[in-house]
Amino acid sequence: MDPILQVADLSISFRTEEGLITPIQGVGFEVGRGRTLGLVGESGSGKSVTTKALMRLLPGNARIDPASRIRYRAKSGEWIEVHTLRDGARALRRLRGGEIGMIFQEPMASFSPVYTVGNQMVESIRLHTPLNRREARALAIEMLVKVGLSNPGQRIDQYAHELSGGMRQRAMIALALAAGPALLIADEPTTALDVTIQAQVLDLMRDLQRDLGMSMIFITHDLGVIAQIAQDVAVMYLGTIVERGPVREVLKSPQHPYTRGLLRAIPSLDRLDKRLSPVPGDIPSPSERPAGCPFHTRCAEAIAGVCDRIPPAETVLGPDRSARCHLLAQPGRATA
Amino acid sequence: MSDTLIEVRGLEVAFPLREKKLFGARTRLLRAVDGVTFDIRRGETLGLVGESGSGKTTVGRAILRAIDPTGGEVIFHTRGGDIDLAHADEHQLQKLRSRLGMVFPGRSATGSVGLHSLSGEALRLFRPRMSLVFQDPYSSLNPRMTVRDIIAEPLVAAGLMRDREQIDARVREIAARCKLNLEHLRRFPHAFSGGQRQRICIARALVAKPDFVVCDESVSALDVSIQAEIVNLLKDLQEELGVAFLFIAHDLSVVAQISHRVAVMYVGAFMEYAPVRKLFFTPRHPYTHALLSAVPVVDPDADYRPIRLPGEIPNPLALPSGCRFHTRCPFAKERCRAEVPAWREIAPEHYVACHFAEDFDFARPAPAPG
Repeated sequence: MDPILQVADLSISFRTEEGLITPIQGVGFEVGRGRTLGLVGESGSGKSVTTKALMRLLPGNARIDPASRIRYRAKSGEWIEVHTLRDGARALRRLRGGEIGMIFQEPMASFSPVYTVGNQMVESIRLHTPLNRREARALAIEMLVKVGLSNPGQRIDQYAHELSGGMRQRAMIALALAAGPALLIADEPTTALDVTIQAQVLDLMRDLQRDLGMSMIFITHDLGVIAQIAQDVAVMYLGTIVERGPVREVLKSPQHPYTRGLLRAIPSLDRLDKRLSPVPGDIPSPSERPAGCPFHTRCAEAIAGVCDRIPPAETVLGPDRSARCHLLAQPGRATA
Repeated sequence: MSDTLIEVRGLEVAFPLREKKLFGARTRLLRAVDGVTFDIRRGETLGLVGESGSGKTTVGRAILRAIDPTGGEVIFHTRGGDIDLAHADEHQLQKLRSRLGMVFPGRSATGSVGLHSLSGEALRLFRPRMSLVFQDPYSSLNPRMTVRDIIAEPLVAAGLMRDREQIDARVREIAARCKLNLEHLRRFPHAFSGGQRQRICIARALVAKPDFVVCDESVSALDVSIQAEIVNLLKDLQEELGVAFLFIAHDLSVVAQISHRVAVMYVGAFMEYAPVRKLFFTPRHPYTHALLSAVPVVDPDADYRPIRLPGEIPNPLALPSGCRFHTRCPFAKERCRAEVPAWREIAPEHYVACHFAEDFDFARPAPAPG
């Protein structure tokens, strides 16, 4: 894999009223150039916090552990050590938008209600490119065409609230792509959409990625979406990546009990008469992270005295494929 | 028809929209629900799917009379039975109040009540028989009330129970059925996770022993594992209590899992309505087929080819002529532009609104039952 982003030993702590909590512990993954990494996990698993850290967008009470490393390969080819950048550094401003773009579940969060779609796109383009206003506007219209908005010459002068849900989502993607980022972080971009619109947006993102040679991190809790858009997947549980690898392998032969549990919980048309099988129990709060393996409190296969004590190390299962589970370190018990 | 609980006949909900014009103003009608007909049986779950803006939520609210219908009928069949009012004690009367409320307008000879014509006091007394579970378990719980008071509220509001101990007993019973920790009843909702809050909402909806509950996107915001838990819980509760659900959702695989029958809605009208297996494995309407094809499949080797529907959902203020789906239908013909398709029963219990339903073979391999 030719990586554009490398994250290793990422830990993030927050000062809260209940004291210091560390919701992200030892996260490591890579994003390959031109590939899409799907980041899956339940609410509270730390998906969004992790990706915010990549752009250094964490709130003031957050602290990235000094041992963490976030390396991003800029369009110029040089590696940027994101974790070492000072807040407010020029390189950080270039990184946000120009190198790494971001889109969210709620498009209205990306658009200001008092500026037109075009104003905001032109502003972003001019911040990150040497283009003048007229050229920037032409590029913005071109982006709106690319995302499949009908009537782009007219839409560009509209406000986000004047667009329908699907169009707004497209406009937000155009806004994020306007400055030509090499990596796009998409945080649940299709979760609030109807299936028909979701299929269109997924299609669009796949095409754009191919045409622009862009890399993507796609955050979702929907493994069906992951299967359709990502090449690689990382499964997060309580601030730790418990399993990662190529999508096909992870979905076809999951090695971590949590991944298996998630897959079993999905309703399927092939099992209409069977009861659904939820993963038992609730995800613990980040301030009550269990000792040992974070998943042991809900794991039917947990080994007493081991899983509740020792955090499992990463077991390498193949090229770019690994999982953190004690069962894997004990041959013969892993296929349960 | 003995097991029919609710009959909906030609239900219409229209909202007047005032538009300022150069000369004066004009009022146009937005037909959010444009004449739908269906029924819900005792103890069954009817799934209602469709894209945002199709009118699913409005149908649910109109049945509960949270919104006033502008046309059609909603008939609620009560279990008749002879009740000697003269000799009922205070406690019995109290329990009967909710049923007595319905004796007022619209009462038909069979002991049915036309919900669409109820008003004011009668409606308030009637409400506990029906209930609603919302999508967002965060905004639908009052943060200043304890869980016990939240669950007890429908009993108190309808005056079904006055005695504190009696209310406590009922709250504890339903909370236990909803697998809530009874020691948590004195806490406030902020202490609970999304899944637990949704259990509280369900307990509140069921505490007055309603015959019918509307679940509006009740599991849509939940993680897949918690969603599975809530779906299982709703099925168990249905079996134990015999309650009927109208389950409104945009996630088709969840709807398939929980529903006995399913209706597909598009811009205010039903396109198709059938028992769950028929709808999912032998759909007859091109819109149903397109919706099903767009559901992402977890199997990376599966043949996933969503059907592209061109264009956008039409504006309900400017509905297309003929079939309202023709502007996006891949199979639309001249007749579809000209003529509104009839709502017809194409096979037993399988209803569809499409001129050419017989011509389509959208069948997909169905797994063997069990």
